[in-house]
Amino acid sequence: MSPAATSSSHPTEGDRSPVVYATDVTKVYTRGSGPGRVGKLLGRPEPPSVTALDKISVAIDAGEIVGLAGPSGSGKSTLLHLLAGLETPTAGTVQFQDQDLETLSRRERIRLRLEHVGIIFQHFHLVDSLSARANVSLPLVELGMGTRKRRERSEALLTRVGLEDRISHRPGELSGGEQQRVAIARALATDPTLIIADEPTGELDTETGQRVLEEFKRIATDRAVVLASHDQPTLEIADRIVQLRDGTRVEATQADT
Amino acid sequence: MTLLAGAGMGVIDTGHQQFESADRDLWVTAGETRLTTAGGGGFENSLYNSRTVASEMESHEDVQHAIPMAFQTIYVGTEPTADFETFVGAGVSGGGPSVQVTEGERFSGDTYYANGSYDGERTNEILLDEETAATLDVDIGDTLYVGGTLSAARDTEVTVVGFSPTFERMLGTSTVVMPLSELHEATGETRTEPATFITITLADGADAETVQADLELSHPEYQIQTNQEQLESVLQEQALVLAAGAALVVLAIGAGVALTFNLLALVVYQQREAVAALTAQGVSSSLLIGSIIGQGLAIGFAGGLLGVVLTTPAVELLNQIAAAVVGFDGLVQTSSDILLGGFAIALVVGTIAAIVAGWRLSRTKPLDIL
Repeated sequence: MSPAATSSSHPTEGDRSPVVYATDVTKVYTRGSGPGRVGKLLGRPEPPSVTALDKISVAIDAGEIVGLAGPSGSGKSTLLHLLAGLETPTAGTVQFQDQDLETLSRRERIRLRLEHVGIIFQHFHLVDSLSARANVSLPLVELGMGTRKRRERSEALLTRVGLEDRISHRPGELSGGEQQRVAIARALATDPTLIIADEPTGELDTETGQRVLEEFKRIATDRAVVLASHDQPTLEIADRIVQLRDGTRVEATQADT
Repeated sequence: MTLLAGAGMGVIDTGHQQFESADRDLWVTAGETRLTTAGGGGFENSLYNSRTVASEMESHEDVQHAIPMAFQTIYVGTEPTADFETFVGAGVSGGGPSVQVTEGERFSGDTYYANGSYDGERTNEILLDEETAATLDVDIGDTLYVGGTLSAARDTEVTVVGFSPTFERMLGTSTVVMPLSELHEATGETRTEPATFITITLADGADAETVQADLELSHPEYQIQTNQEQLESVLQEQALVLAAGAALVVLAIGAGVALTFNLLALVVYQQREAVAALTAQGVSSSLLIGSIIGQGLAIGFAGGLLGVVLTTPAVELLNQIAAAVVGFDGLVQTSSDILLGGFAIALVVGTIAAIVAGWRLSRTKPLDIL
């Protein structure tokens, strides 16, 4: 079943077919372990829980950038993790190209992330001992791609993000902006249909951040991008903004339409 | 780690090698023979009237030589007005038949003794080991001043006639060799003629234990021991030293394992966020563990190789320091076993540490780290 064929029955918010959509997702975190049978008999209380997300629905189409806005603790990162298949919801469903992530095994979710999801972090998280090319190549090793093809693809991606003269440099030899562009190239390595970015400009100065955001605009042409940020200029590149507060969706705005 | 193990093995082996290199059959002592580092190293002299005792023992038909040897700290200088240094002076009777001379000549004799009258002609000859010669910057034919006291040393002129490694190897310290009578004269001990021990070389085909039994019967006041017994009796006095040596070896292995493990754990810990990010991206645990094991192997190999390469010059340096400070040469000893052991520990422990750290990291949920 293609997303296009089912988009009308799902909470899509644009005209294009959704790559991923969450329906009434709730995520509750429990602090500590439960009391157990004996504990219950002894009257031990249930551990406290926190509702990070409460019945959130959102759909992300291919070719659009969706911004997640909200203060710290509003549930932005939790929603990103659910959309990326890093976590499963306590209630509700997350469907990735019509596959309910909860029906997949852990191994299948890992494979799905490898093939279809690219993740970009605020702190880059590159392997310091490896060159930019080797960092980009790592997910391709997992895909079983041959050495020569890996080299060609990683160099092409680094060229695409403007780092053709930094291919052999290690992360420690690169600026923050350059490292983030290596991270973007790594996220693009497997040609994913969904890019998840958590505060992608949080470590960068304004000018470098703008250059990184330009990359996001370029890569969003044929894939869905979800980025979470506190930063208003960062969110301005989004086609839509989903505003969260205390785990609930408070409003949605069209950023540039 | 290899250095620490080398120090431990050196402490244990030094005594054994020194007795083996002495190439004697029996050792006669008057009670305990204590190693001492006082005055530069050597043994205590407690066998009195050594000439008479040696002569009596040499009368045994199976005894080829019975040679009293004394080791006494003496002052040695290159000029009567120069600063004097202390060395272990070894005194040997006769022409020193048991002394190996690698360059130059043997003593012309122990003529000053003159059957106990000490009025014979002095040879005024001395043998040095090459390290002592280098320390004093003298060669064969040069003049030295030696004596048991500074005033005696300023008045006693001797000539270097050759180089001998015998006692330097035996005692593990820089040594000068003199005729026994002239050493006793230099230290004012002609009256008691003390020796550290009498060494006995047997005639060809003689049975050491039979001769030992005979001599014990005729000289019950002395201890007569084979090489191995003599070594053991000396080392029993040095139980603390042996324990320290063994502790050093154990410590070396323990420290090597702990350091290698910690280094790898630290390397992996520093990469935990990058690993977590790759796990989140969908890279499998097996690939990440494999990559970390590769790092462990590489770091273990490089570290092990570096350790092996640096050990030999470091041992040389430490031995020079040890010789200068405590007077024993070759205190730190390395061997191919120690080097291979060190390399193996670096490689094996590095790999195991990487496996454990990588496995532990792969079990952690990426979101707990990111």
